[in-house]
Amino acid sequence: MSSERRVRAVLPLLRPQAGRWVALGVLTAVGAGLTVVGPLVVREIVDRAVDGTDAATIRRLAIVFLLIVVTAQVVAVLVARSATYTAWRTTNELRMRMSRHVLGLDHEFHRRHTPGELIQRVDGDITSVSDLLGRVLPKAAGSAILVGGMIVVVTVIDWRIGAGMFVYVVLAVAAVLVLRHRAVEESADELGAYARLYGGIEERLNASEDLRSNGAGSHAMWRFVEDSAGALDRSVRRESAFLGMWWGVQGAVVGGVVLSVVAGAVLVSRDAITVGTAFLLFQYVLLIQRPLEEVVHELETVQKATGAMRRVLALMAVEPTLLDRGTTSPVAGPLSVEFARVSFDYGDDDPVLHDVDLSIGAGRSVGIVGRTGSGKTTFSRLVLRLVEATDGSVRLGDVRIADIPMRELRRRVALVPQEVELFNGTIRDNVTLFDPVPSDDAVLAALRSVGLDALANAGIDRPLGGGGAGLSAGEAQLLAMARVWLRDPDLVVLDEATARVDPATERRIESAMRELMHGRTTLVIAHRLSTLAEVDDIVVFEQGRIVEAGPRTELASDPDGRFRRLLDLALEPDAGARRSAAEGLLA
Amino acid sequence: MNAWQLAWRVSQHDRRTFWAGEVLFVLFFVFPVGIGWVLGRAFDAVGDGDVSTAIRWVGVLLVLEAGRMATIHAAALVWTRVWLQMQTFLRANLLTAQVASGGPEAGQPIGSAGEAVTHFRDDAEDVARFVDGMVDVSAGLVFTILAGVVMGLTDLAAAMILIVPLVVVGVATKALDQRIKQYRAADREATAAVTGLVGDMMSAATTVKANDATEPLLDRLGVLVERRRVTAVRDRVLEECLEAFSRGVADVGLALVLLVGAGALAAGTFSVGDVALFTAYLGWLGFLPRMVGRALARQKQAAVAFERMRHLVADGDARNTVTPRHLPIKRSDERVRPAVERPERVPLDRLDVIGLTARYAGGAGVADVDLSIRRGEFVVVTGEIGSGKSTLLRAVLGLAWQAEVSGEVRWNGRRIEDRSAFLVPPNAAFLPQVPQLVSDSLAENIAFGDADDDAVRRALTLAMLADDVDAWPDREATLIGPRGLRLSGGQRQRLAGARAVVHQPELVVLDDVSSALDVETELQLWENLASAGLTVLAVSHRAVAFERADQVLHLVSGRLVG
Repeated sequence: MSSERRVRAVLPLLRPQAGRWVALGVLTAVGAGLTVVGPLVVREIVDRAVDGTDAATIRRLAIVFLLIVVTAQVVAVLVARSATYTAWRTTNELRMRMSRHVLGLDHEFHRRHTPGELIQRVDGDITSVSDLLGRVLPKAAGSAILVGGMIVVVTVIDWRIGAGMFVYVVLAVAAVLVLRHRAVEESADELGAYARLYGGIEERLNASEDLRSNGAGSHAMWRFVEDSAGALDRSVRRESAFLGMWWGVQGAVVGGVVLSVVAGAVLVSRDAITVGTAFLLFQYVLLIQRPLEEVVHELETVQKATGAMRRVLALMAVEPTLLDRGTTSPVAGPLSVEFARVSFDYGDDDPVLHDVDLSIGAGRSVGIVGRTGSGKTTFSRLVLRLVEATDGSVRLGDVRIADIPMRELRRRVALVPQEVELFNGTIRDNVTLFDPVPSDDAVLAALRSVGLDALANAGIDRPLGGGGAGLSAGEAQLLAMARVWLRDPDLVVLDEATARVDPATERRIESAMRELMHGRTTLVIAHRLSTLAEVDDIVVFEQGRIVEAGPRTELASDPDGRFRRLLDLALEPDAGARRSAAEGLLA
Repeated sequence: MNAWQLAWRVSQHDRRTFWAGEVLFVLFFVFPVGIGWVLGRAFDAVGDGDVSTAIRWVGVLLVLEAGRMATIHAAALVWTRVWLQMQTFLRANLLTAQVASGGPEAGQPIGSAGEAVTHFRDDAEDVARFVDGMVDVSAGLVFTILAGVVMGLTDLAAAMILIVPLVVVGVATKALDQRIKQYRAADREATAAVTGLVGDMMSAATTVKANDATEPLLDRLGVLVERRRVTAVRDRVLEECLEAFSRGVADVGLALVLLVGAGALAAGTFSVGDVALFTAYLGWLGFLPRMVGRALARQKQAAVAFERMRHLVADGDARNTVTPRHLPIKRSDERVRPAVERPERVPLDRLDVIGLTARYAGGAGVADVDLSIRRGEFVVVTGEIGSGKSTLLRAVLGLAWQAEVSGEVRWNGRRIEDRSAFLVPPNAAFLPQVPQLVSDSLAENIAFGDADDDAVRRALTLAMLADDVDAWPDREATLIGPRGLRLSGGQRQRLAGARAVVHQPELVVLDDVSSALDVETELQLWENLASAGLTVLAVSHRAVAFERADQVLHLVSGRLVG
């Protein structure tokens, strides 16, 4: 039943390309048909030769045979072309659907699944399906038609030989299948051993300086030798298992040849068949070798693809838990933020926030401080509705956050994340996130407003390396600010970068922030405190609770306050002080 | 040395196993000569309606087939070993060069590990493939000569005509093999673009959502997946063309034989047994030209592979990729973990850096640095980003590989000749700004198999990781995951700190730890190092470090000031 459901889930995928799939089927049948017909011509030649015909007739037949075999190969190439094309067209549609679906899933889902795993689901698994549709399926269809065609031809000549051939094919396939099973397992182990070997090498190269400076070269080499020995061991085992399978295929073919020669000899001596027919049997047995080998190799692909399809369907069945049912839009302009008795845990009864009450007026700028794990980041996720409060209510501009339509919320609330993700694309792509609508001038203005003039001047159609090669962490944050500036939202959450930023970039970030704060509500999750010189209010988090909140100047001057103590500890209360410290060193 | 000579050395890494494989493969190709001939005789018997003679020949056939299969069984198992041994041999030479702490074997470090691993995987395999191809050619050659003689004796004209399709296949294989490689590279690139974007999208899912960027991103993905479809189809069609050539050669060959032999067939001098003999040989004959074509293409690939690999080994000399070495990877080999080679401990009284200059191609670096550290001192280097702090530490330790370095470093007044070889534990240890760990146990990452449990424990305490470790069920045996990713950034930094002090080195060199450790932890670290009596050279820009320092050195644009 489950397999039936699986098939039904795949069928709608094939439908848009149905015409192509049918054409492919016809082409495949023609190719297999030609392969069956070729040996019949040779049979004719042998029989005519035995009967003592003239050379010209044989020559004509030989040319016919030549044309058939050449056409068969041309058709095979066409089948491959058409199948690959259609399979990729079909699966590309699936890829797009999956990507859209997965992107729409919750923050929580993405927190639990690594990007690597999702790449495997969205692209790797679907590629296995594509391999099945584009390569294995046409091959299997071709082989089935070929074998079926041969049996039909032989049965027409003599039904007893046809029956014998049928039994032979069934037994040969069964023998190969039995031997195949072990080989599949062994090759999975071998892949694992190689993954370990290459993974280890990559890791050691990555740690090359650490290994060199610790005199750990011989340790690294030892591990490498161990991993290589493991890979060799697995390879030998896989090879032995494959040899078992190979014996199966070769044994079947040799058995077939022996049977065809002996049966041919007996039947010819009784005048039941001609010599040409005996030779035809021999040729057909040789033709069966390829389908047998395919059974061996491709069943694995089939299993892989069905496993992949199952995972794809399971992923498609995951529904986002954050529902987009809101209909109320907050009034235009900067948004106020209100938390009433908000608690939150990641579904593990280990609350990250307890009873948070907070009210931030529209247009204020607020610095959120606290040690790692105090709940600052979760707080910001709640404001963005990336997660939903376990208890209590969050309101933006006096509207319950769940009542705001998602599109509206995303348009009006923006995030500058702590670790800015950069895309493999041009600078323009990275500012607009591939949106073609904003004009080049708007992109340039956004870059200049955050002080990335150098990037703007060098041309925004230059590629930015993957992972942001060529941009420092600070510059990446500036670029993320440019993204936000371009979108002009009413509430900005700025999660400050933890990576160290040099003083020049820090000054640029400060001025870009001033620019961004203008005319909107701003929440700054501060890790370095130096940027807080610009904000109106401060909120201090400690172990999921707000322990201090109020205007910055007031808190900074309270000698017993927590904010004051944080400032003292950091020893870098603001950039100016650090500059003077540096100058002091120079003197 | 050219690719032929280098590949020859690779093949001779384990001479005995290689030649056993070679002999078995040749033997495997001798059997079909007999098998084809016997089949021919059997079919002649069929044609004569002589059942008992036919069965007798079939018996001989069975014996020969059994011999052939037993031979390939042995050959495949032997060759699996040779195949992996050859690659391991190359990889071992590359890796040795990349992890050697100085000495004659050390090679230049490479840029990205992800890219470099392709040299270990693909380039080593390309060389092994070339050797593999040559073995195939030698075996195919033996078959072709023997089969050619038998066929020539049967019908010279029919045998001669077969040269045509065989040459066509050889030429086509060589041409297509090269192009397949190019198409495959293009396909891989297109695939990388797709997976790259999907990966970017998935790791930035929050950003994508928070920026309302789903639609434009999917549009972009749509363009990329369609581009990959084009490259995938092109790649597949070419591959199928090559397949068609090799599949078709037997049939086309048979058609040509029948065409040329039409007269003899009609006259009855070319028997049905002879047709069977040609058919049997034709199944194998396509092998040689395909292998020759492929081997020629592979020879080029192997040359390119050596050219790429040579950059990883000492002096950029490809000969250093084939330095003989003992690699016990076969099951029958005895494997003994080698003792760690370390320099002799030389107690430090003072370290003098004199006129040290390290200049990178881009112009950055340090110039003319003089400094002295006495035993037990805590020396702090500070300065803005890009002022050359890390370069200075690396230049002192002999790790500034890509830079042009001059000046000298003296240990107790004596010049250190090979700094990267001498300044390792127990003389010196280095903690880089972003330490790199390997997927092994915590203890192995600290000791690398060269320190006892007590030493590890002491180091953990000193580096303030002991409390964390005690909370884990496996304690020191905890596996820290690939690159240590199961640990937090701070834990990784502290683990590397433990690694730096485990051998109680004469000198500890630390790059900036402030990005991973908070102020309080950093302060505690300096106190622990001081109470352990270690001599420390560290980069920092926190006041907690300046306050404790015996000397604070300020770097501005690569020069010490003040």
